[in-house]
Amino acid sequence: MITYAIKRAEKAGANDAVAHFSKENRSQIRFANNTMTTLQNWETEKLELFLSFNKRIVSTSLDVVTKKSVDAAVANLAKLAKSAKPKEDFGGIAAGPFKYGKIAGGYDKRILNADLADKVDASINSALKKSVKTAGVLYAGEESVELATSGGIHASDKGTSIELSLRAFCAKDESGHSVSCSRSMSDFHPEAAGQKAALLASLAKNPTEGSPGKYDVLFDPMAFADLTGLAASFASAFYVESGFSFLADKLGKPVASPAVSISDAGNMPGGYGTESFDDEGVPTQTTEIIKRGTLNTYLHNTSTARKYLVKTTANAGLLNPNPRNVVLQPGSRSKEDLISGIKSGLYITNVWYTRFQNYKTSDFSTIPRDAILVIKDGEFIGSIKNIRITENLESLLKKIIAVSNRPEWVHWWEVQTPVYLPYVFAEKVNITKSTM
Amino acid sequence: MVAGDIAEFALKAAARADYAEARFESASSNEFVLKNGVLEASETSETQGLCVRVLVRGAQGSAFTNRLDKPSVKAAVNRAVRMAGQCAKIVKEPVKLSDEQACKANYSVAQRIPLADVSSDVKIRELISIDKAMLATGVNLPARFLTLHDETREKYYVNSNGSSVHAKIPRVLFDYMLTASAEGRSVQRMFSFGASSGWEAFKKWDVAGKLAEEAVMLKKILSTAQPMPHGELDVVLSPELVGIASHESVGHPYEADRILGREAAQAGESFVVREMLGTKIGSDVVNVVDDPRLPGSYGYYLYDDEGVKANRRFLIKNGIITSFLQNRWSASHFGISSNGSARANNWDAEPIVRMANTYTMAGDYATEELFRDIKKGVYIKSYMEWNIDDKRFNQRYTGLEAYLIENGEVKHLVRNPVLEITTPVFWSSVDAVGKNVEYVAGNCGKGEPMQGIPVWFGGPHIRMRKIKFGEHV
Repeated sequence: MITYAIKRAEKAGANDAVAHFSKENRSQIRFANNTMTTLQNWETEKLELFLSFNKRIVSTSLDVVTKKSVDAAVANLAKLAKSAKPKEDFGGIAAGPFKYGKIAGGYDKRILNADLADKVDASINSALKKSVKTAGVLYAGEESVELATSGGIHASDKGTSIELSLRAFCAKDESGHSVSCSRSMSDFHPEAAGQKAALLASLAKNPTEGSPGKYDVLFDPMAFADLTGLAASFASAFYVESGFSFLADKLGKPVASPAVSISDAGNMPGGYGTESFDDEGVPTQTTEIIKRGTLNTYLHNTSTARKYLVKTTANAGLLNPNPRNVVLQPGSRSKEDLISGIKSGLYITNVWYTRFQNYKTSDFSTIPRDAILVIKDGEFIGSIKNIRITENLESLLKKIIAVSNRPEWVHWWEVQTPVYLPYVFAEKVNITKSTM
Repeated sequence: MVAGDIAEFALKAAARADYAEARFESASSNEFVLKNGVLEASETSETQGLCVRVLVRGAQGSAFTNRLDKPSVKAAVNRAVRMAGQCAKIVKEPVKLSDEQACKANYSVAQRIPLADVSSDVKIRELISIDKAMLATGVNLPARFLTLHDETREKYYVNSNGSSVHAKIPRVLFDYMLTASAEGRSVQRMFSFGASSGWEAFKKWDVAGKLAEEAVMLKKILSTAQPMPHGELDVVLSPELVGIASHESVGHPYEADRILGREAAQAGESFVVREMLGTKIGSDVVNVVDDPRLPGSYGYYLYDDEGVKANRRFLIKNGIITSFLQNRWSASHFGISSNGSARANNWDAEPIVRMANTYTMAGDYATEELFRDIKKGVYIKSYMEWNIDDKRFNQRYTGLEAYLIENGEVKHLVRNPVLEITTPVFWSSVDAVGKNVEYVAGNCGKGEPMQGIPVWFGGPHIRMRKIKFGEHV
């Protein structure tokens, strides 16, 4: 059907055409208060069409995919293009064909046959050894995509994934959260996620009110994934042009400490967001966005790359280039070593509700949730609650002194682009709290 | 099969379940994005599909599909029943739904200018003229991002209790994000207009006029705003601030599924517990409601996605916590009836407890009266960054357009006042409430997977006494 769609689009006069067909079969178990609350399954398919008519960009998506619906959609888009104005800086789509090497670790049939209820139970039981209440979700399934373009590309890919997110409570303000995300059963560890969440909850015993000030902070991967993912997303050429990025006009300039190297690794074997090709069919690659603290490149599709006189980074998004696997490069020290070197500081284990005051300046605040542990002379000596991180993202990236040596995958409700990152240690992080 | 038949067919196929419901939903939408004066994207989309939800021996299963031939629908029903049946033995606490009266209804929102009659040409022209109106002010606006979205959504809902509801709701949404620069600094403003209506809502908004005024104001803020004083000040908040606070710190913590812990691993729990019903949370002048039935509202509906008739819900009455937002699951836990708060944002999502249009009710003060006896204070008219913790206890709003108040008079602009405050103190500090309620549109996020759902939030101006503005912001 995608080849048919391209032919119809070309016949209708489209200069560029991309047809992307995806099928998904995914199951979910949600649980709360130690019991399953709902079991859900999605079996869906969708066709997305992106066409340009003399630089007039039009697109659509369809749930009902038949020759008749495709004909109607192409006719609608041709009509819509007559109303649209040309986007003069549109640089077209990639010219193929391309060869796609096989990327290992993206498909594991065992996920499709796994006893999901058993995995949920195992994770809950693991957590209940040190906590009293759990809530969370398990997803598992497969997705296949087929892509055809007027640039001579016809490609297909499929992948599996399994993901568990569990929050454990010992009491109302004593909680911990952990996740396990994988493309294969071998790297899926629901019990370990339950165990870590419960351990954090137990360490957060009797939290006291936090105080505003500047703190040295060790961020758990869960806590820094959102900010790392945002930093990578802000490298999208589309966001840079739209005023949604502090990285505008900073190519080749320092935007983080030398301890920070962030890349997008869309082709990473076993990567949680790995795909063989981007949304215009270019083979995915690894792109260093921030290299030892310096902004190295923006993320591009073919069109934005032509505008910036560079090569595409294989990050289409036909309108908005985006990362697939954000990787914060690990350092050399262990997490334990980092903790032991902290004289006075905080260990923040999760954050949520990150909001920016100004994307161009990157002023923002985000709220630590779950365990916030106080560190004194390398030991956890207590926990606090009710604080907020009020910072500037570029400043915070520059305050990073060290990252640990073992990265973990983070993908959950609050972190939609998968991030592979270690523990992060930053100095003098600004903490605020309610004044009354 | 036609739409209603698909839902009926699915319901019959699920007859062996203890309870079943089917919701067929379709939506056609259009979206236009103008970035820095250039039409970046024009999109027209169709979506349709089916949600089947069943209860089997206390386990709840749902299946979602957009393959709508009879064998595929039957297969989806079978998956829902099978998943629930397989887990019924290990579910520790059976899922129960409150008993509700069966409803039969067919309703739609009348459109004076039907969305279907408004051409793409007109919509694109409107966006371009808005952009031109902003540029005509002469303000340096290096980034301008405008989005116009409209959709017409139809739902056919049936359940095994005999309910049958058909609804057709058109919605229009206009979002913008502006960056203004002056004197080496920049400031950004995001805002949304939204309504359940035909095109007449967009015409009424006068977006071009409002954004031109906004552009001028942004320049004024950059050029003239003075440092914000610290210490204890009285505060007047505009409807925009009152709306977001009503939504974040009253609507959300009063969602019964949060209170019961069902969203604990995602959107979080609530500082409010069941035992707080009937207790004081705000001053006597605070009244907050959620009402899905407001004509033209962005969160409008008359029957929820469990077939329950919607009514206005009093969340806070005279400062006292009065009721929570309930769906049939949470209501059964509380031993009461649902108040019609179950919403799903599309056919591929489960109905969960949601707000619709949450607002602080009008008081009896004229807006100017609120300022009269303030010796020193701040008037916060719009905001930038905001957030609240997942118990909904600690909230923060950073003001954008904000003024110093001295001896009852509104003086110069002040820069970035930060209201960082706990929820009980916020609502207990209110001593006067204005007469004129205004609403703001938003898409509220909750659920797993995330469901963004259309809402309004609003209120009148309010006055708060003795609020601390810290130095450490």
